[in-house]
Amino acid sequence: MADASDKVTITLDGRQVEATAGELLIAAAEKAGTYIPHFCWHPRMKPVGMCRMCLVEVETPRGKMLTTSCTMPVADGMVVDTASAVVEKAHEGILEFLLINHPLDCPVCDKGGECPLQDQTLGYGPGESRFVEEKRHHEKPISISDLVYLDRERCILCARCTRFSEEISGDPLIEFVERGNHVEVNTFPDEPFVSYFSGNTVQICPVGALTAKPYRFRARPWDLEAVESVSLVDSVHSKVSVESSQNEIVRISGVDNDPTNQGWLSDKDRFIYEHIHSPRRLTVPLIREGDTFREASWGEAVGLVAERLGAVPGTAVAGIGGARATNEDAYAFSKFMRSIVVTPHLDAQLDDGLDPEFAAAVHPRARIDDLERAATILLWGPDLKEEFPVLYLRVRRAAAHLGARLVVVHPRVTGLDLVATHTVRYRPGEGPATLKKLAAGDGDLAAVRAALNEGPVVALVGRPGLAEDPRLAEAVAAFARDLPEATIMPLVRRGNVFGALDMGLAPTLLPGRVSVTDTAARTALEDEWGALPEGVGGGATEILTGLVSGDREVLVLFGADPMRDHPDPTLVRSALEAAGFVAAFDLFLTDSSRLADVVLPVAAFGEVAGTVTNLEGRVQKVNQIVPPPGQARAAWSILDDIATAMGGSLGATGAERLNKEIARVAPAYRGVTWDMLDWGDGREGIVVPLRGADQPLRHIPVDTGVPTVTERPAVHSARVLYDDGAMLRNCPGLAGLAPRAAIHMHPRDASILAVRDGDRVLVSAGASVELPVVIDAGLAEGAVYVPFNLVETAALGAPRSIRIDVVREDAS
Amino acid sequence: MSWFADMLGPWRGFAVTFRQMFRPKVTTQYPEEKRVKPQRFHGRHVLNRYPDGMEKCIGCELCAGICPARCIYVRGADNPPDAPVSPGERFGFVYEINMLRCIFCGMCVEACPTEAITMTHLFEMSVTDRDDAIYTKDELLVEPDGTPRHPQPAGPLIDLEELKLGNGWLRATASSGRAAFEGLVAWTPSATFGAEPPERGQTDADVDDGNEGA
Ligand code: SF4
Ligand code: SF4
Ligand code: SF4
Ligand code: FES
Repeated sequence: MADASDKVTITLDGRQVEATAGELLIAAAEKAGTYIPHFCWHPRMKPVGMCRMCLVEVETPRGKMLTTSCTMPVADGMVVDTASAVVEKAHEGILEFLLINHPLDCPVCDKGGECPLQDQTLGYGPGESRFVEEKRHHEKPISISDLVYLDRERCILCARCTRFSEEISGDPLIEFVERGNHVEVNTFPDEPFVSYFSGNTVQICPVGALTAKPYRFRARPWDLEAVESVSLVDSVHSKVSVESSQNEIVRISGVDNDPTNQGWLSDKDRFIYEHIHSPRRLTVPLIREGDTFREASWGEAVGLVAERLGAVPGTAVAGIGGARATNEDAYAFSKFMRSIVVTPHLDAQLDDGLDPEFAAAVHPRARIDDLERAATILLWGPDLKEEFPVLYLRVRRAAAHLGARLVVVHPRVTGLDLVATHTVRYRPGEGPATLKKLAAGDGDLAAVRAALNEGPVVALVGRPGLAEDPRLAEAVAAFARDLPEATIMPLVRRGNVFGALDMGLAPTLLPGRVSVTDTAARTALEDEWGALPEGVGGGATEILTGLVSGDREVLVLFGADPMRDHPDPTLVRSALEAAGFVAAFDLFLTDSSRLADVVLPVAAFGEVAGTVTNLEGRVQKVNQIVPPPGQARAAWSILDDIATAMGGSLGATGAERLNKEIARVAPAYRGVTWDMLDWGDGREGIVVPLRGADQPLRHIPVDTGVPTVTERPAVHSARVLYDDGAMLRNCPGLAGLAPRAAIHMHPRDASILAVRDGDRVLVSAGASVELPVVIDAGLAEGAVYVPFNLVETAALGAPRSIRIDVVREDAS
Repeated sequence: MSWFADMLGPWRGFAVTFRQMFRPKVTTQYPEEKRVKPQRFHGRHVLNRYPDGMEKCIGCELCAGICPARCIYVRGADNPPDAPVSPGERFGFVYEINMLRCIFCGMCVEACPTEAITMTHLFEMSVTDRDDAIYTKDELLVEPDGTPRHPQPAGPLIDLEELKLGNGWLRATASSGRAAFEGLVAWTPSATFGAEPPERGQTDADVDDGNEGA
């Protein structure tokens, strides 16, 4: 990237304008306030000069010449004319040509009303065409994937979509085919455009050639209302614009934002909104009656919860969840549990994440944007393409286009292996030994170790699989910390999990990145909240075993579905059945809330405003655009009612008021208010703590000596992007995209077991399920891979050891 | 002299009255008697069909977008491929006009790219229930043979024949988008009340521009 000293001056329509050397003319002009019409140029992609719409006149030694401004770098003293008669004539000519074969579909075209081709024809077009010949005809929209339609008649061959899939997402499954007058965009025969990022091509297509199936004919741009918000599909928190029509969210688009998503989204971010308006959403409080539920009034449900929570000692109550809520809701839950119920047993994670202190307060902590400048990236954690798709794009960009060296350590081939400098496979359980070998640079890892010696290093650490020890991530971070100029990014996926941890929804944390053992901070909080429970609470698994053993009696599920997200569903079931009383705050009747005694319907994404915190500690605002359905309401207001019914008070009279309270009592969040996030630079989010505010807890990662486990077969159980989670299940556009459940085996292991691809085996851990075998050479030898939380594998969870029995055809 | 002018003043005013007494009377005995309205009178809307029975509305929401009173609600949907409702990919599957809000400006008629919505000469639409003032496709869409529907029966106030006077707008604005018709009044057949002979001007444009009409 050029630095500030490379300034050049150009003459733009008679004005002297400063630009950065090497910058493209079109970008320099836009920065200087002169818009140059264009179709194919996209600021986040390399220029191709396909559409010729951006022609300008540039002074050359041989006189003025028409040049495409999207391919012309600025040079000192350049004299440019963007609106001369010649340029105008060129615009008219290009548009007349583009429209020769363009259908008159505008009234039925999903792009109509926000179409760059319409706008530019109106602004720069000839007004009339001399071409009266029959237009080119193609079959009207053809389905090129489960989410995208292609109308080839409307395509203007700008190559934005093909460049995106090649350059940015790295799955080049659409290309130009045929030649001359017959060129069209299409997929390869029998290979649909299966990409986790296909929706981006719809957003950047300058015409209505690529349209999204879920949005097809749902609304027109002029009846859309929009608010800025952030996607809560994963903890990257991509900036989005949420668009609604008639009180229904109908579209989510990516917003260009340097710190997080650079404008891109995954298809899950983009299309997940459909669950919000699912007919299966809960709209009234439910109270258990025998095996079923009956509908109840809020007064009755709140009264019952208050009565049952008040009937046992505080420490017999535990709370799980909060990672899907806003910071305000999480804060209200934390305050409610700690100061009204008075229990320390709280956990926003489901034993599927990392140590809360490490995740919330690791030091030194990396920002996503550090990837732009990183010389080396060490990724030892989940497959980013499956769990953090937008972060995958950022890492891919760093490795493929910005020259960073990328080291990927994972038990199986990952989406990033193609651009990685080094990949290391290891058997799950043997991570600690692999780490020791890597740190020492032993044997075949010498080259990998050497690659890590150039800073700045960004280490992305998380759990590669749910069957692995979570402490491994911290051990990796402890190693990475000593690499040159290293920063560390802990990877925990779920929605607003970092916000929940920061609000104290962890057994060891209090709001604002404070350890529960920090007496000074405790006292300060007690001044606000009243007496806090003594000691450190139990985490999710401890809470669940406590319910089974009878140490705990009451459980509050705060938007959590442990039956699906905890690695041990058998334990969860027995815990929920053993519990004396379970109250669930939920959007749907999930496998977990189905076992509750009271289910309270809460507002979803887009139905409440609040703040959220992403994996780098960036606080951003989510906004409301539609009302919650039926009687569903914001979780904080339900908690406030329960607190009142229990004779206490949360003082929660509004989400903004809760935000002000957080900005006052949570040290790391001191001074961060909605006002700051709504305007100006704050719209890009604010990384807490603000300069000057203090963060009491800075967690330096340490290797706590994680034991190496050698279990055969070693189990690798990891999430896939489209699993069978409650939101996806209720999202018609995405529900069918889950991969086929299977057990993956290394070819050598399969030959030992004498199974072939497609054979069925019985996989047993806590439960047994029959799964087909997939031979997967991308897997470490001696390991099997079972995707977590698919319909067929949900019962298994993520066991640390399994038994495999081959189902022989003749035996049945 | 001024006292005389003062006395005459009121009588000057009465002169207007006297003059009017001898002019022809124009009172129409409404509703027994109805005046002929101008051809482009803005009365209640109808949704037209093509002569083959297909709906003209494609659910594009342009009328809803232009409506200054925001009284039109349209939702489009995919045409079922085996039984298409309108030509092309999309049809208007919900179409509602709130007649209480409508200011009868006719902007919807001008915005419509297919001449699906037009205005008729009937303006008697009083209702006793607000909900009845919301006309849905049931009331707006003409029968396949072009007969318009109306929620109230014919009566002394309601002359259903006026619903058939519905394509003055088409005659004035239809362009059918063909270059050969530039500057000419053209007309596409409307099924509001069956096909009509083309107006002068259309036959004048000796059309063979390679484009078949809609
Ligand atoms: S792509 Fe644009 S110009 Fe083409 S039919 Fe659609 S709205 Fe009209
Ligand atoms: S489909 Fe759209 S993005 Fe792709 S080449 Fe055609 S016009 Fe460009
Ligand atoms: S009446 Fe005309 S403008 Fe209105 S939705 Fe139908 S086709 Fe579009
Ligand atoms: S924008 Fe320059 S050629 Fe397309």
